[in-house]
Amino acid sequence: MLSADEAADLIEAIAARQDRAAFASLFRHFAPRVKAFIMRGGSDPEAAQEVAQEALIVVWRKAASFDRSRASAATWIYTIARNKRIDLLRRGARPIDTEDWLVVYAPEGEEADKSILAGQTYTRVKELLGGLSADQLVVIRKAFFEDKTHTVIAKELKLPLGTVKSRIRLALGRLREALEKDES
Amino acid sequence: MSRHPAPEELLLDYAAGALPESPALAVALHVALDPAARRALDRLNAVGGALIEGEAGAALDDAALERAMAQLDQVAVEPRAVPAARRPGFEWAPPPLIPHLRPEMGWRRILGKFDEIRLDVPGDAYRVSLLRLEPGRGLPEHKHAGYEYTVCLQGGYTDATGSYRVGDFAIGPGAERHEPIADPGEPCIALIVVEKPIVLTGPWGRLLNPLVSRGLL
Repeated sequence: MLSADEAADLIEAIAARQDRAAFASLFRHFAPRVKAFIMRGGSDPEAAQEVAQEALIVVWRKAASFDRSRASAATWIYTIARNKRIDLLRRGARPIDTEDWLVVYAPEGEEADKSILAGQTYTRVKELLGGLSADQLVVIRKAFFEDKTHTVIAKELKLPLGTVKSRIRLALGRLREALEKDES
Repeated sequence: MSRHPAPEELLLDYAAGALPESPALAVALHVALDPAARRALDRLNAVGGALIEGEAGAALDDAALERAMAQLDQVAVEPRAVPAARRPGFEWAPPPLIPHLRPEMGWRRILGKFDEIRLDVPGDAYRVSLLRLEPGRGLPEHKHAGYEYTVCLQGGYTDATGSYRVGDFAIGPGAERHEPIADPGEPCIALIVVEKPIVLTGPWGRLLNPLVSRGLL
């Protein structure tokens, strides 16, 4: 296993000295997870593996833009994997560029100083997800990982649409309230 | 805290990568301009991070790591990225908008009332425009079949639903909107994403109107 701090250290090692061993450790930990994430979106294992490899190469290429005060390693890699999945869905269209996470993670002026440490947010979110009911967790996971509309989720779970929507809202609301309490 | 934030469900769709490119641009601009939206998005991305960390993982074939390592010789570790430089004449444009601006683009006067720059956002069924209104001027009252996303980028405007300042986000069926009037001060500049009143079917159909299909509106 790899702690959040260890993972962040490894990305910084790539940025500082093109550390190939650090890359290998990150790859062993995250590539299978990214592959599983892509497969949840409906891709076959070969395509998902391809995307996972490409995503980890982006981690290497963009390592210097990683900022552990803005995002945990897992969060940053999630955004890369998500953008790769968007590319996959839009195949043939213009690929999404790196602006997405540069905008999200490159601090701009003083506003960055006011933002809470995203690494802490990540640790809290992990705890809080553990505190959600199984019902809430399943809809959140589907919304994030399977790129499914609420209507499809409702059908799959054989639930009324309103129930799915309220579970997502409740789950997001609980996360937001808990985190805002931390921030204040 | 923005007085007019984007709905959290829309931010969730954005964080999950499920929004088509044009509404995603509107959300990206909102997030770039509104620190509260940015914090909300950080939280949602952290949910994605925690979920991916919690994956059991799908094994890669034995040679995958070797192949990736072999690629590294051809791939440089890039210097830290800096946000795109502001574009002369478009100083009000936040970073996510800059890749969409081209030097030959200029304001076009429409109906003698307001100025427009049409943006070319490929791949989906939305009309994406920058609109500029002089203070006190309004858009002609309008409505359309689809949904409309508005992000205020400079100045402000007021309509029956409230007053909107830089970073504020508005969403809604056009039929419910009343004539927006630019507030005093600088000209109001806003990005407007309007769903075209056409229905496409086929493999891309599901990307076209996630909000309606999700029953969120």
